Amino acid sequence: MSTETGETETNEVETSESSEVALEDVFGSAIERREDPALITGEAEYTDDIQRPNMAHMAVLRSQYGHAKIEDIDTSAAEAMDGVIAVYTATDIEEAGTPGDLPVGWLLPSLKTPSHPILAGDRVRYQGDGVAVVVAEERYLAQDALDAIDVEYDRLDAVVDPKEAVEDDAPAIHEWSEDPTDTETEDDGEAEEVPPNVAFDWEIGDADATDDAFANAAHTVDIDLTNQRLIPNAMEPRATVAEYLPGTEELEVHMTSQNPHLHRQLMAAVLDVPEHKLHVVAPEVGGGFGSKIHHYPDEALTAWCARELERPIKWTATRTETYLTDAHGRDHRTHAELAMDEEGTVTGMRVDTYAGMGAYLSTFAPSIPTYLYGTLLSGQYDIPAIHCQVTGAFTNGAPVDAYRGAGRPEALYVVERLMNLGAKEVGMDPAEFRRHNFIPSDDFPHETPVAVVYDSGDYEPALDKALDMLDYDELRERQEELREEGRYLGIGFSSYIEACGLAPSELAGQLGAQAGLWESGVVRVHPSGKVTAFCGTSGHGQGHETTFAQIVSRELGVPYEDIEIVEGDTDEIPQGMGTYGSRSAAVGGSAIATSSQKVVEKARKIAAHQLEAAEDDLEFEGGEFSVSGAPDRAMTIQEVAQQAYLAHDVPDDLEPGLEETSFFDPENFVFPFGTHAAVVEVDPESGEISFERYAAVDDVGNQINPKIVEGQVHGGIAQGVGQALYEGAEYDSNGSLMTGSMQDYAVPKAEHIPEMDTDSTVTPAPQNPLGVKGVGEAGTIAAPQAVVNAVCDALEPFDVDHIDMPITPEKIWNAAENDDSQEEI
Amino acid sequence: MRRSYVHGESATAVATAATIASTTTVTTAPTSTTITATTAATKLTAMDTHDITLTINGTEHDLSVEPRTLLVHALRDELGYTGTNVGCESTLCGACTVNMDGDAVKSCTILAVQADGTELRTVEGLRESGTFHPIQEGFQKEHGLQCGYCTPGMMLAATDLLEENPDPSDEEIREGIEGNLCRCTGYQNIVNAVEYAAEEMRADDTGSTETAAADGGVPMTDYEAVKEED
Amino acid sequence: MQFDGTFELDGTTREEVWLALSDPVLVRNALPGCEFLLEVDDESPDFDELRERAAETDDEEISMDPDVIAERSFEEGSHYAALMELGVGSVKPSFETVVTIAERDFPDTVATGEGDASNSSFEMESSMHLAETDDGVGVEWATQADVFGRIAQMGQRVINPVANRVVKRFFQRVQSQLDDFGAEEPETAADASTDPEAGLTGKIRDRMGI
Repeated sequence: MSTETGETETNEVETSESSEVALEDVFGSAIERREDPALITGEAEYTDDIQRPNMAHMAVLRSQYGHAKIEDIDTSAAEAMDGVIAVYTATDIEEAGTPGDLPVGWLLPSLKTPSHPILAGDRVRYQGDGVAVVVAEERYLAQDALDAIDVEYDRLDAVVDPKEAVEDDAPAIHEWSEDPTDTETEDDGEAEEVPPNVAFDWEIGDADATDDAFANAAHTVDIDLTNQRLIPNAMEPRATVAEYLPGTEELEVHMTSQNPHLHRQLMAAVLDVPEHKLHVVAPEVGGGFGSKIHHYPDEALTAWCARELERPIKWTATRTETYLTDAHGRDHRTHAELAMDEEGTVTGMRVDTYAGMGAYLSTFAPSIPTYLYGTLLSGQYDIPAIHCQVTGAFTNGAPVDAYRGAGRPEALYVVERLMNLGAKEVGMDPAEFRRHNFIPSDDFPHETPVAVVYDSGDYEPALDKALDMLDYDELRERQEELREEGRYLGIGFSSYIEACGLAPSELAGQLGAQAGLWESGVVRVHPSGKVTAFCGTSGHGQGHETTFAQIVSRELGVPYEDIEIVEGDTDEIPQGMGTYGSRSAAVGGSAIATSSQKVVEKARKIAAHQLEAAEDDLEFEGGEFSVSGAPDRAMTIQEVAQQAYLAHDVPDDLEPGLEETSFFDPENFVFPFGTHAAVVEVDPESGEISFERYAAVDDVGNQINPKIVEGQVHGGIAQGVGQALYEGAEYDSNGSLMTGSMQDYAVPKAEHIPEMDTDSTVTPAPQNPLGVKGVGEAGTIAAPQAVVNAVCDALEPFDVDHIDMPITPEKIWNAAENDDSQEEI
Repeated sequence: MRRSYVHGESATAVATAATIASTTTVTTAPTSTTITATTAATKLTAMDTHDITLTINGTEHDLSVEPRTLLVHALRDELGYTGTNVGCESTLCGACTVNMDGDAVKSCTILAVQADGTELRTVEGLRESGTFHPIQEGFQKEHGLQCGYCTPGMMLAATDLLEENPDPSDEEIREGIEGNLCRCTGYQNIVNAVEYAAEEMRADDTGSTETAAADGGVPMTDYEAVKEED
Repeated sequence: MQFDGTFELDGTTREEVWLALSDPVLVRNALPGCEFLLEVDDESPDFDELRERAAETDDEEISMDPDVIAERSFEEGSHYAALMELGVGSVKPSFETVVTIAERDFPDTVATGEGDASNSSFEMESSMHLAETDDGVGVEWATQADVFGRIAQMGQRVINPVANRVVKRFFQRVQSQLDDFGAEEPETAADASTDPEAGLTGKIRDRMGI
């Protein structure tokens, strides 16, 4: 494809230096990121940059096969090599008495949880399974020694398609029980027996009401959709540097983590290390997109080797290893149906999905195709009845877990493809069909039939803005004219909703989460009035150091430059849940805002005492307490801080110091929404797609830093466009990954991504003190169906209803070529 | 049925995706096929070391490396220039791009011994006398980076582009950085960052031909010499 | 993975090609990277032993004499062990390969095989059909191969050219063997020009049991 450039204004936000921005304007300004100087000079330290004296290197031997029994492992030749310190297999882990089994962090009632050992013992279930590790004096030597390990396999049949995996004759990937009646029952008429590769069966919504809606429908449409497997592709591969300090029995682990506290908690259990003796640090992290949330075997193995050998150990994945082992995303096969009445009002939706889980259950895997998917199927629409059935399937592929969007892109892809088909069926314009079915703005809070209450929303303004940006009516006329000339323009909409900042913890617990979903924030005002704030989120490119300082600056009235933000270190931050699910601003930002407010309240007490005024008589503005009606009786927060630590004259019932901690647990999700529109031209003969326009209107609530919001939207859209047109992980029938490098997996390049025109509406979130929602995943959730809808719209004259992603030129060519109506021309 | 031998019919969806992944040849790196650091190193144990000299950001370094040591590992592990990152070990992502004798090259597929005697510029050499290079300024002002991992390579590729084309169009910039992948930004603000730098550098150049704040330790004359050889 | 194609061998007959491709000696010499090709008793031979055996055995002469080839010809149901060194990308693994001749029925051959190298392996089934063409013989071949491990990870776009190169070189060498033989032929079999059926072709058919 190509992009047309230079014709349209893309409405980009301009940045300012923080020194140019007045204190009262800091929150909401597009301040340049304070993270950047270290990143653009090479000074930032990523995990693989870390060097330790006497450091050794670990490498992992991975399975040659997608599915096989391990008959024998001979490590003697590798052990004999110069420079090789140790070679370990599952037997060594077991003999050391290490639990070595990775836990699952989200349980469902019907869930079957297979053991997931950090090294495979007698069986490998996907190519990423580690069979042995080598520790050597030097990076290359460790890799050399892998080749000297002799593993005898007995290859087994594999299955990679989630729908095929749950058929009766599919090869069983796990053995479920010592109880022979459970899995080895032979044809004794137990028709109820669940096929061995079914991980879970889950449903949401009212099946009967949905059946009624379809029985009474004037119109119905249905579609089969493949939401293909994706590889996250953070540019920095996963890596770990672990060091054991025998004197204090401390294990220090620097790793590529989106949530160091969670990794500490899980790793403590996996390795049987006391949690307080495990220090996990996320240094600079080069992107994650979900892939660095989960607990993988490799990080634990590095730490295990460091403790075993009492030496610092480094492990860094090769790109191929990240492709084999990083949790993949999506992998759904779905049949979806929509019911409508005569007027084109949607009356019901029925969805049946097979979700590939891969060989094992990754950390949060069970929640992704269930609670993060089924609950979003109402989209922006007022739909009376929805039913969704999901079958989770084990396959011989990499585990599937949260990847940017995590369940929500899959849901909105279903909803928005159905809405396009529905509009066509009833003969309405797709934009007007959407508008006709929107939840009205006066109907919030709105409870959907899939167990979610949207707290706020106003969908028409975003759609209208997108239509304006496109000059929609004129564009449709142009589309008609171009068709006469044999040129095929397509316009695709995606009116999306997103639930992020998953909360509250109590609800998450009821749904099966094995963790709380609060966030901690500490605000420490130093005696000089400078501030350090700590948050349990762990940014890796999102600019938290900038935006969180903007929050604290507003709350405390302290200059932005006087505030430092610390994340990503379990020794410095009380506790944390990390950065994922677009939660950091809404939950973490709210935690430090709440702590800031507590600091102000304590400072108010001190100021009132010192100014000999009643607390209620003090006004706080611009970092200064003043007595109402007597503005010259005033004290800055910096002066209060000094007094708080001097503690010579503070109220009797007050402790010295000025520092507060909060654990913020929101009352609900936040619900960003918006409308994206893609305009493409498709050449049916070559199959080429070129973007004419990409317009995005997002409502992410109040914006702390509009430039960072823009960047998040851009990046999200790029990944969504990547899914729509280029990306897809492919396994062959033996479970061998055919897209094992960047040569075969198409990560979009600059020329593949269109110019994006971004704008926003602002509907503040009512559930948090900042009125912010989340923006990290918006683009990825919105973009795929905008592009697919546009391509299908372009090919409307060829009677093309659907093309599965990634829409390659070959698929377009085939779709247009196979069109009967054209052959008669 | 007659089938052509040369075009074995083995195409799958993979091949299509792969075609896109590779529609652009990597112009910035002299290299062949997918070679990982590990495979390149296979079976080459217990070997001699070679003494080489690398001039990095104007500083001369003498070091001993194995014949198989990749330039990027010599820079990072031997000499501590960790600003240059490794993303794919196969020239495809461009994170490891550095400037060698005036041209952007991918240091993950050049052996350290091949770089013997060359002048290299890495991200650490972009800032001079406490002043950011225009490309660094551009990336910060235009929000051209998020996680920052691709940024050093991206900036080195961009300075090479601007060296050859001081006033590139959007399209030329997108083509110019085709060998460098970014997963965070969607590229738009990177394009803007390069445009920003181009403007700044042109403004600098109109002041004086000697200004060239751009080259961080690599004298202009060297660039020209290399260009002529090409 | 599926590979297939047709290789044109000019100025020859199906019988001559059949004869050539029945000869383990010729095949070993024609296969790029093939260090030895030895008949073995079963599908799991000891390659260390075979290496020694190969080192001790003198190379047999290439011949196009049906009498000679009939003695050592591939036979249906028999197994052969080969050590094949293949350059894929920058690595050159040696595959310990065992091939079973599953079917041999002029002009069709089917063989199955498995190869193992350090961290890589393959399983394959190949078929070959000899078709008469205007200029000679078209060897129509097809291979269904499953590739595993490190080689597989290099991706199809690395593997396909390697597979194609191996096949191409193989048939080029077969062609040159046939050409050499063709050049000698008039002197050694003068009758052939007058009555091909009674000459070499007939002899091949007779000796090779076609």
